[in-house]
Amino acid sequence: MNKSAQKLDVTPLVDESYCAAATQAIRCEATRLLTEGTVAAVIGYQAGRRKGTAMPTIVSSPEKAAELIFSSACVNNLALYLTKAKKEVRGKGRLAIVAKGCDMRALAGLIAESQVKRDELVIIGVACAGVYASGADRAAPLTNATIARKCRECVVHLPEGADLLAGSLPQQPMLTPLESQELARLEALTPAGRWAFWKEHFSRCVRCMACRQVCPFCYCEQCLCDRNRPQALESTPRPAGNMAWHIVRAMHLAGRCAGCAECERVCPMDIPLNLLNRKMAKELKELYGYEAGLQPQEKGPLAEYKDTDDQSFIK
Amino acid sequence: MPKTITEHNLRLLIDSLLKDRFRVVGPRLAGAMALYEPLAKGEELVLDQLPRRSAKEVFFPVCENILSFERTEAGLQVTDVDLSAMSETVLVGVRPCDAAAVPVLDEVFSWDYKDEFFLERRRKTTIIGMACTKSDDACFCSAVGLSPGETKGSDLFLTPLLGGGYGCQVLTDKGQQLLARYPKLFVDTVDARLAPLAGGTGDRLDLKRIKAWLDDNFESPLWNDIAERCAGCGACAFLCPACHCFDINDEGTTELGHRRKHWDACGFGKFTNHASGHNPRDLQNKRYRNRIMHKFKYYDDKFGQTLCTGCGRCIRHCPVGIDIAAILREIESRSQ
Repeated sequence: MNKSAQKLDVTPLVDESYCAAATQAIRCEATRLLTEGTVAAVIGYQAGRRKGTAMPTIVSSPEKAAELIFSSACVNNLALYLTKAKKEVRGKGRLAIVAKGCDMRALAGLIAESQVKRDELVIIGVACAGVYASGADRAAPLTNATIARKCRECVVHLPEGADLLAGSLPQQPMLTPLESQELARLEALTPAGRWAFWKEHFSRCVRCMACRQVCPFCYCEQCLCDRNRPQALESTPRPAGNMAWHIVRAMHLAGRCAGCAECERVCPMDIPLNLLNRKMAKELKELYGYEAGLQPQEKGPLAEYKDTDDQSFIK
Repeated sequence: MPKTITEHNLRLLIDSLLKDRFRVVGPRLAGAMALYEPLAKGEELVLDQLPRRSAKEVFFPVCENILSFERTEAGLQVTDVDLSAMSETVLVGVRPCDAAAVPVLDEVFSWDYKDEFFLERRRKTTIIGMACTKSDDACFCSAVGLSPGETKGSDLFLTPLLGGGYGCQVLTDKGQQLLARYPKLFVDTVDARLAPLAGGTGDRLDLKRIKAWLDDNFESPLWNDIAERCAGCGACAFLCPACHCFDINDEGTTELGHRRKHWDACGFGKFTNHASGHNPRDLQNKRYRNRIMHKFKYYDDKFGQTLCTGCGRCIRHCPVGIDIAAILREIESRSQ
């Protein structure tokens, strides 16, 4: 590695005082909303026991609002807690949610799919310079070396469409788009080469279903892959069933996935699932000029039919 | 005189075992992580990483066939698995938290029903444990009564020496047999000085008091506070060295297929779903409560042991940051 690259790896991407300002703004707004009774609970982040970690929290009292934070450790997409997979949270009443730019896209998708009503939700948007990669050294600041891969190509550092924007950010530097590069590398492989790549990754899948459970769009109450009478696909953690499951997952999210890459972040077996999501998104853009999560009112191309649709694929 | 083995000879030991037709399993690189996988040569052994998944899979695989069936002209043929075909195995480079879980699992797999799949592998496996000289802030083996130098579960135990190599402690007949088989690889050393073991693995928890609180608090608001954030995946259970729940599925067709035993997790919504549609653990807080109860109360009630060895995997890899060590501290403080 050359010297300038090494320097880039230790230079903080942003002055972390922006997190303190965002934290302050989130706490103020949460306290106000809870005191005034505008919402029953605020879904946000609180610090974890271990240094440099944070976790989702659901705060129901103004006193507890002081525990809310924002930092580069706030990796989760909290939109998960608004879906019917999380009935306990939805049952509390009107909710407010802290959302980064990438999370906003998931919210837009959930609103479009009639899972969430925009006017029943208070969105506290937060300026985000990026979050830590899985396994990054949390004692180090957010740098070129510790930032999550998805954040390197982020175009939504400042969320749009929120009720409030917590924090502010200077212009963010462009980082090497490692994920795009990896996708291009895979696309350039032969089908046999790609098959070998995914076969190896999926062979390690243990079917813990973390990818499904954290996905805001995997809210089906009866997942196809859990069916056993009849079994739709092998549910045991073996190569054939694993491959089938990951294909099903990618296909069911095509045109819906908002690119938060939570599935990839949480995979305990380091399967680069967001590459599949990215590929699907790319196909959708090429075929239909469509990008998921940009506008809530949009209906996805795979969810509607038009006479003018390209039908050349029917053979 | 204490026996020692150099790192070079440890790798040579693996090569010798392989040559002698043993199956050797140990930490091996799989991408950026390590996993306990069959080694093809001594060089592959990874010495400085805790494998992402625990060593339980050597005895209790992620998925295994437990019988096969085929419909033929003669009728339905059911074929059992030939357990005698299972290989003699040496499990090497096992961390204390993983090795200590194996005798804990012995209890449940040899209880009212003898699980021959587990027990046969157990009989045929020799475990070479290895002390830890580094830890991270998720490690908490000392908090649950173990330590980075814990020998529980190991047949032979290696402790890194200052200046390289390992001190060898023989703990069982199996360990003695292994040592006696390759005497040239082990040497007697007079002045072997052990490297300092990892620190920061947690202050001892009062597990008795924690259990006493659990005895009285099946219903507590704590469960909801913790589990509201739980996403309901199986990452914690699947990475855990002690979690041992499994499901059994018949797969294939009515003509030809297999009965398979595979890992299951109490965090899954369908785990306790009855055929009637009723689910006694209908909410995530009831599922998470079971996770804690099983580890620190039920298993203790039944077998006098704790179903957690403090490896910290569930903490490192929980998608939503649930920290079992912090929860145990919270319960301990509530039990004052």
